[in-house]
Parts: sequence; structure tokens; C-alpha cells
Amino acid sequence: MSISYWRTRDRYYRIIGSICENCKSEFFPPVYTCSKCNSTDKSKIKDKEMPNQGIIISYTVLYEPMLGFEDEIPMQIALIQLNNGVRLVSQIVDCKIDDIAIGKNVKRVFRKIKSESKSGQIWYGYKFRLC
Amino acid sequence: MKTKTKVSITGYAGYIPKLRLPTSEIAQIWKGGGSGPNKAKSVANFDEDITTMSVEAARHAIIMANNPDIGAVFVGSESKPYAVKPTSTIVAQALGIHKTLAADFEFACKAGTEAMQVITGLIGSGMINNGIALGVDTAQGRPGDSLEYTASSGAAAFVLSSENNHGLAYVEASTSFVSDTGDFWRRQGESYPRHLSRFTGDPAYFFHVESSVRTLLEEINAKPTDFTYAVFHQPNPKFPLEVAKRLGFTKEQLEVGLLNPEIGNPYSASSPLGLIATLDVAKPGDKILLASFGSGAGSDAFSIIVEDNILNKRKNIVPLRQQIDDNIEINYSTYTKLRGILNK
Ligand SMILES: [Zn+2]
Repeated sequence: MSISYWRTRDRYYRIIGSICENCKSEFFPPVYTCSKCNSTDKSKIKDKEMPNQGIIISYTVLYEPMLGFEDEIPMQIALIQLNNGVRLVSQIVDCKIDDIAIGKNVKRVFRKIKSESKSGQIWYGYKFRLC
Repeated sequence: MKTKTKVSITGYAGYIPKLRLPTSEIAQIWKGGGSGPNKAKSVANFDEDITTMSVEAARHAIIMANNPDIGAVFVGSESKPYAVKPTSTIVAQALGIHKTLAADFEFACKAGTEAMQVITGLIGSGMINNGIALGVDTAQGRPGDSLEYTASSGAAAFVLSSENNHGLAYVEASTSFVSDTGDFWRRQGESYPRHLSRFTGDPAYFFHVESSVRTLLEEINAKPTDFTYAVFHQPNPKFPLEVAKRLGFTKEQLEVGLLNPEIGNPYSASSPLGLIATLDVAKPGDKILLASFGSGAGSDAFSIIVEDNILNKRKNIVPLRQQIDDNIEINYSTYTKLRGILNK
């Protein structure tokens, strides 16, 4: 596990983002400055676990994946809007190729992202599946 | 064994991966047709392992238990992704739990009930108020071996709590019976287990399960007819029915919890998932027998009594039946790719 992955593991494991308690805006990835009200007050910008459900805004199916993900093709990648309005990009799993569609409801699952090698550490994180 | 104070189940959840391999697929390759005694088995996807399945089951069980402070996270499994490095700490981190005991248990197919028993003791002694016990496996079977027909994947999680947290059922008593019996084993560094075929029956499964259950019945002065339901470890569809008959339980008592025909044997999750399917339909006052079996060998038996609160608690959960029915069938070549047998 790389140091940066270890440091941000809650972000990958639980989708920990931020909430600005000044204007109630929520963000993922976490922020230091609120882009809505421009607050930089550290006591007002807190960690917050993002909702685990959302809908597919857009998607693509990859047949030429990034290095290390060759065994996962066809790989379904979606832009998801969570129930609090925050958007993120994530892999959709356990889904037949014809079943993915814009507007479908999805929920967060905890999955293996990749492993460094057969003897290396395993990286875990969030993905989504249809619900 | 009984605790001095009451220990309850306050939340439970099962996780069964979506993929199913029909056993006719295996038979087609190795025996030229037919199917196994079970119809299909659940298979972990390429990105699922016992850690991911544990997190999914645990998350839902904790919600059902109303998010109590968890003082123990125990993961029972024999398919750990790391030989050295606990699974339980990854699960705890993913649940946001840190002030907790965390440990991995291994005892072939009975590591899950063992975790339940230890947590029951920790709560009963007053050391902790709530703990989560997991039975979870991605079981391995050598291609062509009889185990390949049944070795499957799944997870079962139970939140156990003290009297402060009103339960949906409580543990009346439990027992354990062990002996050195080498019916099934896997040496360090080996990918697949070995077993002594017929030896897995009488001297192993039947002897240990019968012993733990008879001890339990004696301890609580009960007879098989006192139980509404009974759940036995399910290495195949036949063994649990046979042991039930030998002990005086009926087929009707087993039916709801007998999942092997549809999902195979997810080892440490096998009898715990059977208990979950049973809790999904049980009524207040019902008495449930749970008996696990782990090769090597041992059996844990529990008497669990369902309480009124189960009706409320069940309102917001998805029954296990839905996960069993909502599946995607795969063929043998996809299966070998997922299990890392077929590589580019
Ligand atoms: Zn703001």
C-alpha cells in the first residue's frame, strides 16, 4: 500500500468527503475551502461520509483499460450523482453489459481495486452496483 | 455454556455474491454431464474476497443493530487474502471502528460460530457491550475434485449485544465439541485443500455435530421437538438431513435454513447464513438450533430464542432470499478466469 493511499484510505473505504457547516454544502474529494461560500474556517469544514446511493448521470464501457486492469474488461465506468448532489466517477460492477443505463439507481459497494503484485498489498475501495 | 447476563443478537446480515455457477457446468467438463447434489454455487466476482464480503455484511448488520459502539470485530474464515495481516483491521477501518478488539479466527467451516461464541463470552462477562462476529469464505476446490461442486462464497454477520440493547433474539446456551480428526486440511502455501472423502462423514461431521448437539440438549434439558427450526452445517444437501434424522429433528425444521442446494457451501458462512434465512421468517418465541461443523474437527451448537423485537427490526431489511434469487449465471470458463486458474 503506498503512503498516499494509506493516508487517504477512509476516502476510498467510506467515501469520506467534507461538509461546510457554514452553508451546508458537501464535497468529495474533501476540500479545505468551500467553493460555495468561500469559507476557509477549519472549524466549520468537517469530514463527512457521503451517502451510499445515487443515480447514473453518464457512463462509458472500456475495452482498452489502464495498465493492471486488463482482466476486468469490458469495464463499466459511470459518472454518479449521489443523493446529496455530489458527483463522482466510479466503476459499476455485477452488471450485465446491457443493463447499465443513464438514470439507473446505484448503491455503493466495498471492493478490491487492485493489488500491487501477487506478493504485494491489496487496495480496497468503493465501487457501485445497480440497485 | 451459559453467560451470567443475557446476550442478544441485535443485528444480522448476509452477503451472497451475485454470480452463480450451475454445477451442471462443472459436470460437463469433468464427468460429461449431469449435475452435483446441489444445483448451483455462489462465486465471488474478480474484485470480491472475504474482506469485501465481510464489510458488506457487517455494514448492514450494524445498521439493523442501530449503530451501537462495537467492542470486537472478529472475522472467521479459512480463505484469508493475507497469510500474515489481519482481515479484521481492514473491516474495522472500512466500518470506521477503531476502539475495538480485532482478530481473525480460523477453524475450517466453523470459524464463524466460534467468533459468535467468543463475543457472547466477552459480552456476558461485561468486558464489552457489543461485538460483531463474521463467518465468511471464498472456498477453494481443486478443479475436478468433488469439493469443486460445492465450495462457494458468502458472508454472514451478527451483532451481539448486552442487555442494554434490546435484541431480536438471545443466546440461551451454546456448546462446543472438538477432537483431532484430519478429515480435511490445507497446508501452508497450498492453493487447494485435501480431504479423505468418505472419512468426512461418520468420524468427522456426524460424530462432532451429534456430540455438540446432544451436549447442548442435555445442558438446557430440551428435546428436538422443542425447536421450531434447526440449522446444521451444509457441506452438501444430504449431511444436514441425515444428522437431523439421527438426532430426532425433522426435515420441516430444516427447510428454511437449508441453502446448500442453491448456493453450495460457503464454509464459515454456511450454517450462519442458514440461521439468517431462518431469522428472516421466524416468529417471536421460536427456538432455533444452530450447529456448525469445522474439519480438523469440531462443532459448535447454539440454542437461540427469538424475541418480539424481531418484527420491528425486520421491517427495514432486505431478506436473504432476495440475494439468493437475484443472481447472474456464469459458465465454467468464466469461473476458471475468476478463480485465477485461466490466465492470459
Ligand atoms: Zn460553505
